Amino acid sequence: MTGRRHLGLVAAGATLLAAAPLSAIFERWTWLIDAAIAVAVVAGAAALARALRAPLWAQVLGMLAGLALALTWLFPSGSELLAIVPTPTTFAHFGELLGGSVQDMRSYGVEVPDTDPLLFITTLGVGSVAVVVDLLAVGLRRPALAGLPMLAIYSVPVAVYVDSVPPVPFVIGAAGYLWLLVADNVDRVRRFGRRFTGDGRDVDVWEASPLAAAGRRLAVLGVAVAVLLPLVPVPGMNGSLLDNLGGGGGGGNGNGRAGQGGNPGRIDLFAALSGRLNESEVVDLVKVTTNEPSPFYLRFGVADELRSDGFRVTNPSGKPVRDLPDPAERVGPGIEQRRYQATVETSRDLAMPLLPFYSEPANVEDLNANWYYDNDRQIVFSNRENSRGKRYSFEYVRSTYTPAALRNSRKLPADHPLKRRQQTATPPVPEVTELVTRLIRGKTTEYDKVRAIYDYFSADNGFSYRLSTETGTSGQDIVDFLTNKVGFCQQYAAAMAWLVRAANIPARVAFGFTNGSNRNGDTYTLTNRNLHAWTEVYFDEIGWVPFDATPAYGVAGSTRSAWAPDTDAPDPITESPGGVDPPVDPDASPGAVGSDKADEDTDTGLSIGSDTPTEQAPVWPWWAAGALALLLLLAVPALRRVALRRRRGGRAPASAAATVEDVGVGPAGGTRMVVVGGDADRARADAHAAWDELLDTLVDYRVRIDRTETPRATADRLVQDALSSHAEAVTAMRLLGRAEERARYARDPLTGEPLAPALRAVRGALAADADRRTRLLAAVLPPSVLLRWRIAMADTSARLVAVVGQARHRLLRWNPRRVIAGRTAR
Amino acid sequence: MTQQTWDEVGGLLPHDEFRAASEAIVANIEQVIEGKTATVRLALAVLLAEGHLLIEDVPGVGKTKLAKALARSIDCSVRRIQFTPDLLPSDVTGVSVYNQETHDFEFRPGAVFANLVVGDEINRASPKTQSALLECMEERQVTVDGVTYQLQTPFMVIATQNPIEMEGTYPLPEAQRDRFTARIAMGYPDAGAELAMLDGHGATDPLDGLHPVSDAATVRQLIATVRQVHVADAVKQYAIDLVTATREAPDLRLGASPRATLQLLRTARAVAALEGRDYVLPDDLQVLAVPVLAHRIIPTADAQLARRTTDAIVSELVHRLPLPHDRKRSPYDTRPAAPGQGRGPYEPRRP
Repeated sequence: MTGRRHLGLVAAGATLLAAAPLSAIFERWTWLIDAAIAVAVVAGAAALARALRAPLWAQVLGMLAGLALALTWLFPSGSELLAIVPTPTTFAHFGELLGGSVQDMRSYGVEVPDTDPLLFITTLGVGSVAVVVDLLAVGLRRPALAGLPMLAIYSVPVAVYVDSVPPVPFVIGAAGYLWLLVADNVDRVRRFGRRFTGDGRDVDVWEASPLAAAGRRLAVLGVAVAVLLPLVPVPGMNGSLLDNLGGGGGGGNGNGRAGQGGNPGRIDLFAALSGRLNESEVVDLVKVTTNEPSPFYLRFGVADELRSDGFRVTNPSGKPVRDLPDPAERVGPGIEQRRYQATVETSRDLAMPLLPFYSEPANVEDLNANWYYDNDRQIVFSNRENSRGKRYSFEYVRSTYTPAALRNSRKLPADHPLKRRQQTATPPVPEVTELVTRLIRGKTTEYDKVRAIYDYFSADNGFSYRLSTETGTSGQDIVDFLTNKVGFCQQYAAAMAWLVRAANIPARVAFGFTNGSNRNGDTYTLTNRNLHAWTEVYFDEIGWVPFDATPAYGVAGSTRSAWAPDTDAPDPITESPGGVDPPVDPDASPGAVGSDKADEDTDTGLSIGSDTPTEQAPVWPWWAAGALALLLLLAVPALRRVALRRRRGGRAPASAAATVEDVGVGPAGGTRMVVVGGDADRARADAHAAWDELLDTLVDYRVRIDRTETPRATADRLVQDALSSHAEAVTAMRLLGRAEERARYARDPLTGEPLAPALRAVRGALAADADRRTRLLAAVLPPSVLLRWRIAMADTSARLVAVVGQARHRLLRWNPRRVIAGRTAR
Repeated sequence: MTQQTWDEVGGLLPHDEFRAASEAIVANIEQVIEGKTATVRLALAVLLAEGHLLIEDVPGVGKTKLAKALARSIDCSVRRIQFTPDLLPSDVTGVSVYNQETHDFEFRPGAVFANLVVGDEINRASPKTQSALLECMEERQVTVDGVTYQLQTPFMVIATQNPIEMEGTYPLPEAQRDRFTARIAMGYPDAGAELAMLDGHGATDPLDGLHPVSDAATVRQLIATVRQVHVADAVKQYAIDLVTATREAPDLRLGASPRATLQLLRTARAVAALEGRDYVLPDDLQVLAVPVLAHRIIPTADAQLARRTTDAIVSELVHRLPLPHDRKRSPYDTRPAAPGQGRGPYEPRRP
């Protein structure tokens, strides 16, 4: 029975490995602990049942009971007997958890948090799969079928993720499956008695069976990958363990690209406090049409979790976007709300699980039920779809505020839900606290405090826009930024949010698009260069109010509002200090001024630089050159053939006036003709060349060549088969055969014969008899040349394989296993 | 003592005279054996190659007639032995007889003391008589009572045997068969030749009217000329390849001996010379492979069960064996030359 016990353990391990894909949808790894406990209990129950020689149905019952016990212990309702024996209350609790899991699945985006209902359903699912796998693999001895339930686990992330399922977890699961198969096979073989090595040679003292060793190695590899993967941040598997534990995983540079990496479609929503903006390629992402005269930024993401290196996105949760709550009615002096209509068209390059909207959307059309609206974050998200190529329209409510109205806002009560949700939490940095205390000294209202912080990020205080931050020495990105005072939108937005939070006012970073520089009537075309980040501050009874602290000259299409005027506006302009109205001329002038002032920093100019005429002119020569090169490449075999023929036929036939010398009378009185050595060699070479050329010609015209035939036999066969209708060619062929025969075997080669004309005659006769296709191929792609090359290639590769094999054999001699095995054998 | 000096063998013949002499012999024999030019030339080639001929065929196709015609076409001593079960070795080799007049033993030469020895129905004699031929065939000498007598040059044994009626016969031992250079089968004549035979042979035996067209001295000269035929390295290699192939063929229990290689090449020289060439072609070897090799090899039990004759096996080998080139490598045969991987000396399979 040890074989079965072993197989049961393997089945449990394989199930756990197959559960690896779930790591892609969970934020943390708590589920793995629960699942491991459930699988272990199931395996233990199965082993116990088998040890008692229970029948199959009893084994299944035992496993199910074990699973129930494990679930009861893991998710207690509080009324269990001895903490593990379930009661009716427990099952009612399970029912609640199941219902809750359905709700959670709907409301949370992928990378779900560790909620009890979700953990419960995961543990239940993995435990059930463990039961089925054990039943199939150990009970019924059909391990191949066990792949189906294992595959079912993999289908979960496939269903949740639409476009990108990480491949590594699948490999781990597959390794588990293979391990199961191999273990079963080895067990089968073992029943027949002693196992031998696969090829019957050198029995390894360490590994009795290579098959079992392969299975074990696979499993070890799978476990190693499964263990190491969470520790190492791998693209495609977000939420790695190190990041979640809060270690300093990614450096500032690694995370500091706001959608500016290789793929402009996937925008990294992370407001880093340091980094470098590197953008070479311009891609249209969004086209938006609105009837609002000067809209504020188009917004699609929010980062509200503050770390020491910046703001991070948390997972949204919400309700389907179809039944949007009506935006809160905010009435009061100085608050103005207007309804507008907008249509957004996203390009195929924008692939985010989020959709850009103007805040706050009221009525959305043309979006399906996969899109959800998070009321707190005011974003539209989906767990299954992405924003590629969408078109939708919506109504939205634009609120504008006067500073006075904001000033009226009271201090937020300490038990406000936002405060409880840590929207004011900041990492302890004394420099920041000191700065904020200095800035808000004497300010009484919340708005004044925020304005003091907002105004701090001005050119007067030395802040300027640059596409990369400078490294500092303090070790804190925030302090570095506040000291160096250079950066781009992310740093400004994140730093201001940080400072405002430090002043105990809720703040977060919003992501979206500026209005850009490409406006056509009511339509704005927004590119990846218009991506922007800004700060949003929460005012009691008013809501989230945007503040853009980034210097306006650095951002094309920057928009300022009455409550947050441009701090860097030149003095002569009067509108900003006394700004009561919505800002005039929101998009064009700051950007235009900026591009004049700091041209190397702005990025609008670059796209204009690439003009059409410079691109169009040189296209056809490239095509022509490519076609020419292709032709040349195709002509190489034919050229090679022609060169070969010329070289062989180029020699004049060993001069007709061959020097013939009469040696005189032989011992027996006979005379013999002896050709002088040099000429004989030459005649021989000529005959060989002619014969080689003849063989090549035969290959070209698809005439069979037999390596067992003598030249005479070849000539006879050709005369009979191929050349029978050409009298001249028959003579020529016999001549060629005789010349080659004499050159090979006789003392004296044939001299003075017209081999080249004979060759021509034979070739002509062959060509005349061949069909058109053969003739064309013989001229364009001569099979002889191709065959020779193919043979040479095969030859080289064979030699290479031999060399590698020898080297491997030599290296294997130093394999410690073999050395040890040899020693013990001795 | 096969290797005679030049003087013993005789001088070289010029090309034309060689051709005339050989053609005369062939034409003379063809007066008797009609329509068997190839067989006749092969028999002559064996004579010129200083070998011995074994003619094996059913009765009545002219085995003995060929042997006698060849013997009679050459003006030299001819002896005929009819092998019977009670034939004694001394009948073949000779015997010392006590002469009462001289009171001494005197040697009375046996049948082998001739230029041409025709052994009829050789498989009817007992093995001990058959082995009496062993020494004389290979070493061209006879040792009787401790005295060694040299045989004349040319010396050729032409033996016939009947493969059909095996009752009361002693099949030739392997050692004996290996001494025959070639084994040929006469085969039935075609219709035209048989008709001509009826016309010509109806009244008299054509052998009676046959006159010698050559003599022993001329034959010696012919033999010397044959020895001069050029054999290129590639041809030698091909002969070795052929013989090696018989040793490695899976169908064969016993392959051809080195003596076979030697005799194959000698016969090929003779064939080439008869065709008027002074160099040997692989074609000659291909033609001779069956007559020279087939009777020396023993097929495996499996091949015998499959009724594969040694002739078929050898001709298949010939058709499978690629031709060696005296140049380094053929352009279409690019198998690695495997330097330094020459095979060890051949080890015979244990039967």
